[in-house]
Amino acid sequence: MDVSRKYENFLEFRRQEKSNFLWISRTLRPKVANVQEAPCSPSLHKDEVLQSPKIQELLDKLSSVQNVPKGHLEKQVKEILDEIGYNKSLKVIRWLGLVLTKICLRVSSGIYINVNKVQQVRSKMGNCPVIFVPSHRSYADFILMSYMCFTYEIVIPAIAAGMDFHGMWGMGTMLRDTGAFFMRRSYNDDSVYWTVFKQYIYQLVTRGDLPIEFFIEGTRSRSNKSLAPKFGLISMILKPYFFAQVPDILFVPISISYDRVLEENLFAYELLGVPKPKETTSGFFKSLKILKERFGSIFFHIGEPISSKEFFGDSIDRSIHATASLHKQDLTDQEKSVIPPLAFEILHRQQQGFVITIFNLVALVLNNTYTNKKKLPTILELKQQLLWLRSIIESLGAYIHCDDLEKEIRECLVVHRNIIHFNSNNEVSLVETQIHQGKVNIQKLKAHQLSDQTMTYSVPFVALQIYVNPTLFYLFDLAVLFTVIQKEGALNKEDLWVRYHFLRSLYAMEFVFPPQKEHITYESALENAIAVNALILAGDTYIVGRNVELQEILHSSFKPFLLSYSTVFLVLQHLPLACEQKTILANVQRILEDAINNKESFVHPYTLNLDTLSNCINSLCAMSVLKKARRENAVSFEINKTELDDVKTRLDLYIPTLCINEDLLVNLQLQNKL
Amino acid sequence: MPPPPSQNSKIKEPIFVKSVIPKSRQQLLKWNGWGYTDSQFVVKVDEHKNIQVYFTGKRYPIGEVTLPHLAQWAIDKLDLDLTQPPKRSQPPPTESQYPESKIPESILLKLKNFSISYSIDIVDRVVRAHGQTLHDIYTLRNSVFERIPDVVVWPTGHDEVVKLVTLCNDNNIVLIPYGGGTAVSGAVECPTSEQRPIISLDTSQMNKILWLDRDNLVACCESGIVGQDLERELGRMGFTTGHEPDSYEFSSLGGWVATRASGMKKNTYGNIEDLVVHVKMVTANGVLEKGCQVPRLSCGPDFNHVILGSEGSLGVVTEVVIKIRPLPQCRKYGSVVFPNFETGVKYMREVAKRRLQPASIRLMDNDQFKFGMILKPEESYFGIILDGIKKFYITKIKGFDVDQMCVMTLLFEGDETDVKLSEKKLYELAKQFGAIPAGETNGERGYMLTFVIAYIRDLGLQYDVVAESFETSVPWDRAVTLVKNVKQVVAQECQRLGITHYIINSRVTQTYDAGCVIYFYLGFNHRDLGDPVDLHNRLETKARDEILASGGSISHHHGVGKLRRKWYPKTVSNVGLSLYLSIKRELDPKNIFATNNLVQSKL
Repeated sequence: MDVSRKYENFLEFRRQEKSNFLWISRTLRPKVANVQEAPCSPSLHKDEVLQSPKIQELLDKLSSVQNVPKGHLEKQVKEILDEIGYNKSLKVIRWLGLVLTKICLRVSSGIYINVNKVQQVRSKMGNCPVIFVPSHRSYADFILMSYMCFTYEIVIPAIAAGMDFHGMWGMGTMLRDTGAFFMRRSYNDDSVYWTVFKQYIYQLVTRGDLPIEFFIEGTRSRSNKSLAPKFGLISMILKPYFFAQVPDILFVPISISYDRVLEENLFAYELLGVPKPKETTSGFFKSLKILKERFGSIFFHIGEPISSKEFFGDSIDRSIHATASLHKQDLTDQEKSVIPPLAFEILHRQQQGFVITIFNLVALVLNNTYTNKKKLPTILELKQQLLWLRSIIESLGAYIHCDDLEKEIRECLVVHRNIIHFNSNNEVSLVETQIHQGKVNIQKLKAHQLSDQTMTYSVPFVALQIYVNPTLFYLFDLAVLFTVIQKEGALNKEDLWVRYHFLRSLYAMEFVFPPQKEHITYESALENAIAVNALILAGDTYIVGRNVELQEILHSSFKPFLLSYSTVFLVLQHLPLACEQKTILANVQRILEDAINNKESFVHPYTLNLDTLSNCINSLCAMSVLKKARRENAVSFEINKTELDDVKTRLDLYIPTLCINEDLLVNLQLQNKL
Repeated sequence: MPPPPSQNSKIKEPIFVKSVIPKSRQQLLKWNGWGYTDSQFVVKVDEHKNIQVYFTGKRYPIGEVTLPHLAQWAIDKLDLDLTQPPKRSQPPPTESQYPESKIPESILLKLKNFSISYSIDIVDRVVRAHGQTLHDIYTLRNSVFERIPDVVVWPTGHDEVVKLVTLCNDNNIVLIPYGGGTAVSGAVECPTSEQRPIISLDTSQMNKILWLDRDNLVACCESGIVGQDLERELGRMGFTTGHEPDSYEFSSLGGWVATRASGMKKNTYGNIEDLVVHVKMVTANGVLEKGCQVPRLSCGPDFNHVILGSEGSLGVVTEVVIKIRPLPQCRKYGSVVFPNFETGVKYMREVAKRRLQPASIRLMDNDQFKFGMILKPEESYFGIILDGIKKFYITKIKGFDVDQMCVMTLLFEGDETDVKLSEKKLYELAKQFGAIPAGETNGERGYMLTFVIAYIRDLGLQYDVVAESFETSVPWDRAVTLVKNVKQVVAQECQRLGITHYIINSRVTQTYDAGCVIYFYLGFNHRDLGDPVDLHNRLETKARDEILASGGSISHHHGVGKLRRKWYPKTVSNVGLSLYLSIKRELDPKNIFATNNLVQSKL
């Protein structure tokens, strides 16, 4: 067995030991990332940033331009640094460690980690900056990351956190004391703030000895799929490498998989467009009701570390920065251009690292059952299907955590009792709960206001889809290939590539993958498709294979995404040349809501989700079908109708027929005319 | 105390200097290693398996005393197996190992007619086929060079060199100048693919001091004079050049010019380019020299700088007018202990900023500091880290970490009052940096070890350990990161190559207004790992790449030669490269100085 997939349940040690208190108060000799001769305290970091030539020169300039005393500006910078800077209180860490131990022992059945890799990463630490890059599926991520580090005697990282936590009373301070530093949202364009923030990162990378932790997806993924990587923070982190201020930077991709995501219900609502509540401390205490719930297991998968030096190799000549003061220089275009491939590679390793749970497979089976209006399975039938599906998904490269299938299924029914249960026929089915939204503040809605009926019907499907999504990392490429061949018949490799490339690019934001690896991905997808008999290679053309059950699953899992995208296109066709994002989203949801409630044919409620709709819009922007413009806090788009028609025609080839209420479209045009 | 300058004594010029080094070098110097044959590290294992290491001979202060801590250090750090019999070098080269000399009889006849001494003896030829790189020494000990000179010639003056160069140019014969043989850049090695006959021009017999000009404080010397001879002779007359590269016992004046050498005491006396007032270089196109002997002139470009650093590729340096100074009244050593390397570098930067440098100021990193202690002859282990009470004071009261602290060595030269003042300023400043003065003896030992350390590689070679040094210059603000980066890259690369036991340490050896010089030692155990020279080259290439990436240079004083050619175009720009090639074409159209240094010649 692959040793990198050997997991150890470290929560079990806590369960076994006599006193958790003794454990949290033990003497710590944690491994640091980049040993410094004279280590910096959190406040020294801030001082050094303030005294850096970069900030000092900026202040001199501003002071003379704005005619304000420099001391006044320095005070402002200090305030900014106090807002940003991390702190470190071992006492807080230990107490938090104890509370967390107690909570986890109660709600979680195990926290697993591939311990070999932890040791490997530890052994590589010490000589250069180390960056932990975990996936982001839950607020629990960074608390658990720190808990993991505390357990394995790795020094608690400096963690990049969003400002939403900063405002929470008590919480902000506590997180800061455990190493969090705070970053404002990117649309803030205060140039002094960003210069200070960038210098702070530069400082942590060059002079710090802690690992740095940040979420490359930028925010929590509500869909349980990876979000496209952000390049801002990683560029700041890499700058000292390009400037040869550090010998190398190690990026450690970390995938955190949850049996049950803490925020699943919230996410289902958010995906449908009900705005998330602002983070408040009372909100946090309300969420303490989770203590009564079960959340199953959590899996840390530490991926193979990426050395920047090796990754960039000879494509980067760091000596070009040798002829001038570093603080007066910026990254070159060449340097900027090599960052995205690294970001995608880190993300890709996260994707490969995720652990697939049995419930992911259960969700996939049920989803297929409902989509195709088949008979709901009994537990035995479910087990049969899971056995078959497991071997297929495993053959596609997934690691599935399962010791005893029947036990795991029963565990699913307990942990996910809010989503699935036995119905009166002893079949496994979705739980339906009546939803009353009460009074909705229309202003806060991100798109269309869905009716209570729609919400009641949709939320269980969306919640289920959250657990289907992780499996799509393994199925999406096959689904694309199969859909193309099914609709277009036999194609040779080159022609199939053209279609694959089109769909792959269109869905690049939905199913993120490294663009630099598209050809390799294509090749291995073809091999896999043949291996599982989704396709057959006849001579030099590909035709439909014989694995009908799998084909059905491929079809049913791709379908919602096809429908969502096609509906976006349809709406765009009927909108004027310039329109706001909210208009697009609302109209798409309106049309789809109607189609769902029509119930003539099954339309998956997940088609309503704003995540997919925005991904579609972003893809269209990348393909220059749409042009983004930001005015007065609203995002709007210009539509290139010819390009749009072209893309729509190409996509519609694969779209299952959808019963659209034409009145709604006419209505749409009328609205615009008014 | 040196004798006062003997202004009145009659000195007959030119001064024929009797060199310490005989014409047949191998009689005094190792043919297959560094330095004098009577000086080397020796391992003795007695019947109780007790291992003792000592240094032979009385030439250096650590001679003939046992070094009780060296063996254990070498075992721990480099996994030396001292119980195994040492790997002996092959015997001196024989005729059968090499092809016969390609030199035509007609040329030998010409040499006879010119009365220029020559030899086609195989040992003479092999001895002049190399410098002191790891590749050179490893080859001497274990195999054969691909190409060696066909004949060695010993001209005795400028005019004979002119005749030789003309002879070679007329007959399309390659001429490679050879001075002290201490190059660590591959500069004197014969290009392996050279088909023409190769003459090695040994300058050792042109070592006269032609005249001394006391009014202007300059001396005109022939280029073959080696450092220790020059200093000894000038010293007798009350003078010094003050140019003291670590190799000065063996390296020659012409070599210093040809490589842009730098001396330990450059703060007081200047580097070679500051010391040279006038120089003659015999090229295939005639003699390049200036028409005056003045301190400076506004008449550019300065063609002295075409000669300086030409590494034998453009012609032969024959005569140099070099600055001399009266011997200093007072010479004093000193040392200072710093809590860590970074603080030490900050201190040096401050010293440079205030231009307070004494003749020499050097900072050894923690590894070198420890190694210096290891070479102490004291028996007690604690004694070697720091003597008793001092250790307590430094580690407990000052809170220094034994695994971080560094030592700086100082050398003062000048009037007694000046030296005192300089000491006062430096030690006071040191206090502000939390450093502690550590006495004269430690300083003196530090400089002495510089000369001895060159011998240690020969010991390692007998036990599967190879070692080499490399250096660079770097702006102040990037010095510390350069050191850190290089050490990490070497560590990473060692891991990749499967090297488990290695040392990589560094020191700051020179300071300037705008930056400093870093000197690295690299050594590793290559048992069971394949060709050590190849392994070393890979490591050094990675290290040099990292040096350039970190803002450092191709070299501060070792030169480019053949080893560092790869980085030459990047260093001088493509325009610079073609400019050099144009000069080469102009001065040496037939490429008789086919050293292939700086640039692989395609002429």
